[in-house]
Amino acid sequence: MLEKWKKKNTEDKIIDVVIYLFCTLVLFITIYPFYYILIISFNEGIDASLGGIYWLPRKFTLDNYSDFFTDTKWLNGLWVSVLRTVIGTGLSVMLTTLVAYGLSFRHLKGRKIYMVLIIISMYFGGGIIPYYTLLRTLGLINTFAVYVIPGALNTFFVLVGIAFFEDIPPSLRESAKIDGATEINAFRKIILPLSKPYVATCVLFVGVNQWNNWFDTAIFVRDKTLSTLSFLMMQVINSTQVSATAPEHGISIASTTTTLSIQAAAMMVATLPIICIYPFLQKYFVSGIMIGSVKE
Amino acid sequence: MSKGKVTGCKYFHALKKQFSLQIFVWVGLIYLFVFSYLPMVGLVMGFKDYDIVDGVWGIFTSEWVGLKYFKEFVNDVMFERLVRNTIAISVLKMIFTFPMPIIFAVMLSEMRSLKYKKLVQTCSYLPHFISWVVVAGISFHFFSLKGIINTLLVNTRLLQEPISYLSDKDLYWAMAVFLDVWKEMGWWTIVFLAAIAGVNHELHEAAAIDGAGRLKRIWHITLPSIKPTVVIVLILAIGNLFGGGLSGSNFEQSYLLGNSMNSETSDIIQTYVYEVGLSQGRYAYATAVGLIQSVISLILILNCNFISKKISGSSLF
Repeated sequence: MLEKWKKKNTEDKIIDVVIYLFCTLVLFITIYPFYYILIISFNEGIDASLGGIYWLPRKFTLDNYSDFFTDTKWLNGLWVSVLRTVIGTGLSVMLTTLVAYGLSFRHLKGRKIYMVLIIISMYFGGGIIPYYTLLRTLGLINTFAVYVIPGALNTFFVLVGIAFFEDIPPSLRESAKIDGATEINAFRKIILPLSKPYVATCVLFVGVNQWNNWFDTAIFVRDKTLSTLSFLMMQVINSTQVSATAPEHGISIASTTTTLSIQAAAMMVATLPIICIYPFLQKYFVSGIMIGSVKE
Repeated sequence: MSKGKVTGCKYFHALKKQFSLQIFVWVGLIYLFVFSYLPMVGLVMGFKDYDIVDGVWGIFTSEWVGLKYFKEFVNDVMFERLVRNTIAISVLKMIFTFPMPIIFAVMLSEMRSLKYKKLVQTCSYLPHFISWVVVAGISFHFFSLKGIINTLLVNTRLLQEPISYLSDKDLYWAMAVFLDVWKEMGWWTIVFLAAIAGVNHELHEAAAIDGAGRLKRIWHITLPSIKPTVVIVLILAIGNLFGGGLSGSNFEQSYLLGNSMNSETSDIIQTYVYEVGLSQGRYAYATAVGLIQSVISLILILNCNFISKKISGSSLF
């Protein structure tokens, strides 16, 4: 190791040092904020508001989490978030992959026009007010359906899917059809198993979008029982924004927790599923996303 | 005549053969029609004297007022502030958020330890998957008056008085850009790193034999090789310039981090559309204001695409 290092010239050494310093800095800046929220979520809220906690909880407690998981407001939000993520992702991935599969046939009649219609919709839209008017007309405002129906077709992943399916040899589908399989069965039993990278990428992205979305609750839903976890966290931020000028944190009576410390626990609950899932899907989405961005 | 009949028959025969496939696609097209194209029809609101009490059909039956709302926006007291903030935040993001992933990708590709490289890379795009709500929540814990940054700086006597980063109008732009870089740098690095991985190794070896140093090789081999990818990503970013570039984060940032203390620099056209439209119920006016931004974005992306097709041959469509 040392021998190798001595052999290098000065330019090499300087570059190596700069790279390692920079990358380590990036690593720290990325990870530490999550770690900090983690330790705050395990620290007594009133104590945490005094500041000075950097590496470990000072007064360890599970109160923030027990308050989170016994509060019906937070629990309900978590449930709605899980529900919309599961249903919304299932629906969206089904629709998106089917449309992409259909469009991946070069001989499909009208393919050119369909593609143009999709691409136009990606770069131009009616904007938020006409969209709101439409959803109100359709009776989707203030319903659970507004979370899962309007956004189900993901045009970006339709394009990614087309590029992906085009690379699957057509003979596979044809032989299945000669054996008497219907189109949908050929797709389900032959094509889908070969498309794991694409489907996994699709599931990850649509799922994360569903899980993270707070904006649709903010504008389309007034019913409190339909509030999602993200939306509830957003409300806490909005209420603490006020105290950004007068540094007093909301303190709940006869408890060691504060709004901010429960918020920290909520953030960990919201972040944990993502941290657990994305490293395992990594190998899929790195190739999946490349198909989309490199395609001419 | 008979020939037309035959091709017509053939056409229907082909259509019948691909019936299921057509059904798949048409389900999507109906979706597209309802949720993308119907709202575009709704854009006529921006040219009409429409009020919510008129109901949906009022959109079509109300009187035309031409460009009234567009003129009203230009004369709006907020106009200057909104346009200035929207342009400034967007351009600042282009300057800082766009080059960072390229620099980071080059650094990662030059790293010798593959394990460490993988660790840094995997961690670096975690924030991409985290919602802006959580990012705003984290930044509150870090940057508020009693946040960890202020406590640290005051305790070490680097600061006399804590700075309220999140409610200072002179700091909002910097915060917006910083948080955007923090959240999205690692993600876009993936695309550039993949492009760098495709560069021919022999080029590097040949250059090394000819005595080119590492910096020279990066400059003359790595960077020119990934130019097509850079161009494509650049078009994408410029196409969404006023949405906030690659990540399109302007609206969420402004909504979550904007407050009465920094509104002078955090108010942007998109939040204004939301505010006047949905909170004040001035649908027609808000639609017109929103339309201005979409049209400018469309013109931008078409031009970029055209120019890049001419110059470098790579384009989106």
